[in-house]
Amino acid sequence: MNQLADFRHTMQSCNHCGQCKWVLGPKTRGYDFAEICPIHMQFHFDAYSGQGLLHIAQELLDGELQYDPGLRDLVYSCTACGACDTNCKSIRDMEVLDTILALRAKLVEDGQGPMPQYARMAEAMARTHNIYGRPHAERAAWAGEPAGLSATTSQPAPVAYFAGCATSYQRPDIARNTVRILEAAGIAHTVLGADEHCCGGPLWRTGQIDAAARQVQENLDALQRRGVQTIVTSCAECFGTLRGFYPRVADFPFEVKHISEIVQEALDAGRLRFSKPLQTTLTWHDPCLLGRLSEPYVPWQGEIKAFGRHVPAKAWRRGQQGVYDAPRRVLGAIAGIEVVEMVRNEENALCCGGGGGVREAFPEQAQVTAAERIREATATGADTLVSSCPFCQDTFEDGLARQPGAMRYRDFTQLVVDAL
Amino acid sequence: MPLSRDVYAELEQVVGPRHISDKPWILAGVRAAQPSSPMKPPSPEAVLLPGSAAEIQQIVRICNRHGIRYIATISSLIGFAYPSGPGTIILQLKRMNQLVEVNAQDRYAVIEPGVRHGQLRTELMKHGLTYPVAAVGPGGSVLANFACSSGDNHCQHGASRTNRYLLGLEWVTPEGELVRVGSLANDAGWFCADGPGPSLRGIIKGFVGQWSGMGVVTRIAIGLDAWRGPPELPTQGRSPSYRMRLDPACHKTFVFKFPTLEQARDAMIAIGEAEIAQAVLKYFNASAALLATESANEFWELWDSGLFQRELARPLYVFLSAWTHEELEYEECVLRDIIAEFGGADVDERIQRIYSDNMDFYILVGALQRVLRLGGGWAPCKLSGDSIGHMFEVGKAIPEFITPFIEQGRILDAPDNWQIIPLEYGHSAHIELLFLYDRNQPDWGKVPMDFMRASMQADIRNGHHGTMPLRTVAASQAIGALFSNAHMWANRVKDAFDPQRVSNPF
Repeated sequence: MNQLADFRHTMQSCNHCGQCKWVLGPKTRGYDFAEICPIHMQFHFDAYSGQGLLHIAQELLDGELQYDPGLRDLVYSCTACGACDTNCKSIRDMEVLDTILALRAKLVEDGQGPMPQYARMAEAMARTHNIYGRPHAERAAWAGEPAGLSATTSQPAPVAYFAGCATSYQRPDIARNTVRILEAAGIAHTVLGADEHCCGGPLWRTGQIDAAARQVQENLDALQRRGVQTIVTSCAECFGTLRGFYPRVADFPFEVKHISEIVQEALDAGRLRFSKPLQTTLTWHDPCLLGRLSEPYVPWQGEIKAFGRHVPAKAWRRGQQGVYDAPRRVLGAIAGIEVVEMVRNEENALCCGGGGGVREAFPEQAQVTAAERIREATATGADTLVSSCPFCQDTFEDGLARQPGAMRYRDFTQLVVDAL
Repeated sequence: MPLSRDVYAELEQVVGPRHISDKPWILAGVRAAQPSSPMKPPSPEAVLLPGSAAEIQQIVRICNRHGIRYIATISSLIGFAYPSGPGTIILQLKRMNQLVEVNAQDRYAVIEPGVRHGQLRTELMKHGLTYPVAAVGPGGSVLANFACSSGDNHCQHGASRTNRYLLGLEWVTPEGELVRVGSLANDAGWFCADGPGPSLRGIIKGFVGQWSGMGVVTRIAIGLDAWRGPPELPTQGRSPSYRMRLDPACHKTFVFKFPTLEQARDAMIAIGEAEIAQAVLKYFNASAALLATESANEFWELWDSGLFQRELARPLYVFLSAWTHEELEYEECVLRDIIAEFGGADVDERIQRIYSDNMDFYILVGALQRVLRLGGGWAPCKLSGDSIGHMFEVGKAIPEFITPFIEQGRILDAPDNWQIIPLEYGHSAHIELLFLYDRNQPDWGKVPMDFMRASMQADIRNGHHGTMPLRTVAASQAIGALFSNAHMWANRVKDAFDPQRVSNPF
């Protein structure tokens, strides 16, 4: 794992152009919905932005800034949504989000972080292997009912469904729907059951790297024992963590696919067909870790030479290859569904507001962002907001509860199962 | 002078506790050194987020009462947005972000400081209107550019410079009086910059602005031009590989090369005389290579091939934008005649293809921040304006002072990395020389000042209006004589309006 000091080049390269705060020029569509940084649009001070966090990181490294609870709160107010990173990388060769995450890791290393809520989460995870502190034995309870989900097996298979904590404990319908989809597509698969631990994403993104790495190792062992080659997820957080974090701390010889990609492939191959129309106008919310932050991480060790030349060449993660098309194509293939787009979409999507631990530590702040995203979704004329992230779902459902009748939230897998 | 708690409390009373901070981690966000400079600016004493002109008036009066310096900023992109000395507070006007009015009939827009280029450009397109959008990215403040500085736009050949577009405005003077300038002063609306009698527009703006050195402009109207493109940008692809092509029946881009600078100059003048084309540029070549690539390594691969140096040493980029296909055909015929008459030729097909595929994007949206990709060591130079002929004289003299820097390896070997943008179909022009240097070199911090000094000395030797007079005392004194000693007049005006020298003084 890179340390904060490894990102000096990024910190020193920032020239305050502000691209980290605004939707990229080619994607801007008017006065409204033009901001992209959830914290900057709320607090307005430059410190609350990718740019500001780079400067804070540099001053901390240089000993010009001292720790303070207020500083800690600011660092953890960021949703780590990566919009700043993708936008900066549209024009620069900088690692804004990795710097922010390394800053959080430094706070933890120096005993100044994380937020108490995340420390409690890590304690719970050490005991129960999930973020909620719920009994580990209940992790695969979703597979027990209703009867007939035959594929919930722990037998070796080349394909494994990785459910994740939020799905397993809070949103079991998503897990069941995912298994139904895999069965309908004729994909033999295994689930890790009691061998599945938290993906580690919530720990990674709050700077608790050692604890996260322990979860990684547990999961890798379980996957390897089952002879798995491909991991399927229905949770954006798990998806982005598997592709973006695991290769940083371990050898990771697995292919990771999102359930929307599986459905798309099955539709294209004729192994799956939709038979029921669904009358709805929906808009797709790109979860950060399924979209711009989901590109596979390729480790890079090298030197930045004169005029920015990276030796050896670096594989940049610029947000271009996120999972954007598959969910849209799948949903658009269901009869009766009209997919309409929000202004801030794909790599320029606005975060739900709850990412990076913000929903737990700063719930009201998360709701301001969620309200903004719901306003944008409503402006499309859609009656349904659809995504594939149980964490986004929690944040949006909190927000929609404050706006009765605005629209409804549905998970991607539910619509697919409804249309089968 | 640090703020006393009493003064802080006074300011807090004005904006509310949520909109002021002197916490070190908040100040850290606005005191970092620019990557192009080795010098870190002094820390401000506080950052404020005022929400109205009335709040700004109160803040400014408090500053005058206590001798506190203030700077009004929005995006903080340029060095003038940072304190030049201790005892300064920063007013970030981001909360004042209303697009007050788009008047399509009289073709003006009224905006507050926090409205950004990305917002206004795309909002106006829906009305079939546009304006000269500075190539600073979507987050740049429109008001700051029109009222306080002067970033340029690639399409100024068919348009003009920002000072020509500024109409009515609302201004908090350095001492806190609220003044409405132009037609606005007579309750006649925003449509005109000037009323009877002397104009205050020049006090605030001139050819270049005062970089917040003359109070705070809180609302402006800007004149608008017709937009010949669609109501929404036809963007394809994903970051960073966007493509944007307007309707090829009405919009077309060309890149030509010329044997000599004189021929390029004469062609540029002739295109203006013919009153065709939306954009005409003698464009940068290293910057063009940066725009055409998506990483520093890709740039180096392209640059090391020598293609852009060979083909784009003396280019003209032309962007035709017409209402109808017939109009486009006419303009292309005229253009081809002019290019042939002055010895121009098409550039290598590989370059032409890059721009045919995507010039609309580069021209209209701009991605000039990509020039920063090489690691931060860069600076613009010259930046002044005069006739096209004079600007080319300035360009021809560049080798006089750039060659030693290149031979010593202090800057990138890109002596042709400069541009000339004609304005108003050739009535005048603007020049910019962009030089890039390597922050890894031990004495990199000396490069920008040494280079700019050499550039300015060349202008003084040659009597060229190449270097825009800066607000630094030394530069103004050195170059002022070439510009009618404008800095002396500016100082008198400053003394009259800002006797305590608290509004962003230098």
